[in-house]
Amino acid sequence: MLGLKRVLALGVALLPGIAVASEGERIAVKGELIDTWCYFSGVMGGPDAVVGSAHHTCAMWCAAGGIPVGLLGEDGTVYMVLKLGEDDDSNGGDTFLTMTNDTIEAEGMLYERDGLNYLVVAEVTSNEGVTNLTHEDFGVTPGNTIPDAVVDKVLEE
Amino acid sequence: MKRIALIALLLATPALAAEDGAFSEGSEAKSWNLTAQEKARFTAKVVDILCEVAGDCPKDCGAGTRQMGLVREADGALIFPNKNGQPIFTGAATDLAPYCGKMVEVDGLLTGGDEITPGSAKIYQVQRIRELGGEWKKANRWTKEWAKKNPDAKGKGPWFRRDPRITEEIAKDGYLGLGPEEDKVFIKDWY
Repeated sequence: MLGLKRVLALGVALLPGIAVASEGERIAVKGELIDTWCYFSGVMGGPDAVVGSAHHTCAMWCAAGGIPVGLLGEDGTVYMVLKLGEDDDSNGGDTFLTMTNDTIEAEGMLYERDGLNYLVVAEVTSNEGVTNLTHEDFGVTPGNTIPDAVVDKVLEE
Repeated sequence: MKRIALIALLLATPALAAEDGAFSEGSEAKSWNLTAQEKARFTAKVVDILCEVAGDCPKDCGAGTRQMGLVREADGALIFPNKNGQPIFTGAATDLAPYCGKMVEVDGLLTGGDEITPGSAKIYQVQRIRELGGEWKKANRWTKEWAKKNPDAKGKGPWFRRDPRITEEIAKDGYLGLGPEEDKVFIKDWY
């Protein structure tokens, strides 16, 4: 049987245009901070190619450009990250940019709304850096990530 | 072998085609060949998503610092616009922030869902936006705002090659995020 709070929340949520905060759930989750646009849209290829080191620079471009950063959990669940610790600048903020593709453990509040998971991270409890070495299989995505001049310089060394 | 694996992966990417959905009527959205893309034009209230889901509500939806959402008028669903209309790694929040709390009409593409993230809803790319009854505007405001914030980053090439925060990160951690020396090993092996 639905509790009174849920009945009231459901009733209000059914009214178009009425804002109502969801009831959150405290969780701890481990995963990789990813570029959600490339992951969901397939615009750069399949999901395995748009995570980890292969996609690191593109993910930084997207994070700086204000594309939402997500946390890809070990079970494949994607959490849209709305706040990272004290930083709620999810539209291109420094914390979101500098932690791109890091594997982290986080504690925070999970809110589910209309088929998406939203995560408000209270604390990052560990950060292993970039550990998903996808460049070994996919190179870099997109393929022109590293400028030709940089490639040529390294090859001339 | 690596290149063969990459080609196989690209070929395995799901077949893509623009499809009509429940909100496609009247849409003039352009195809981007996205996963399970669906044209979608609808009216909605523009909200600060952190406020909407968690009740953390600063003035003016955070004045452009936060991700913005669309509470669709027809069914009350919270739609997440991840992308604006520019093909250069730019999100939608900067285009939507000026409409905080207002009713708008948007036109764009829904993408994603079960094919990529089982059990997950689609996200949205907004291509144009207007206040109810107003003139349509293209959702392409991001680069102008970036240029205002980065007056010293003028030069050739797109913004993401000149952005000082990105160039600083690449100088420190390399293109792979593993350090400059790992970049060299990779380049010598791959190119």
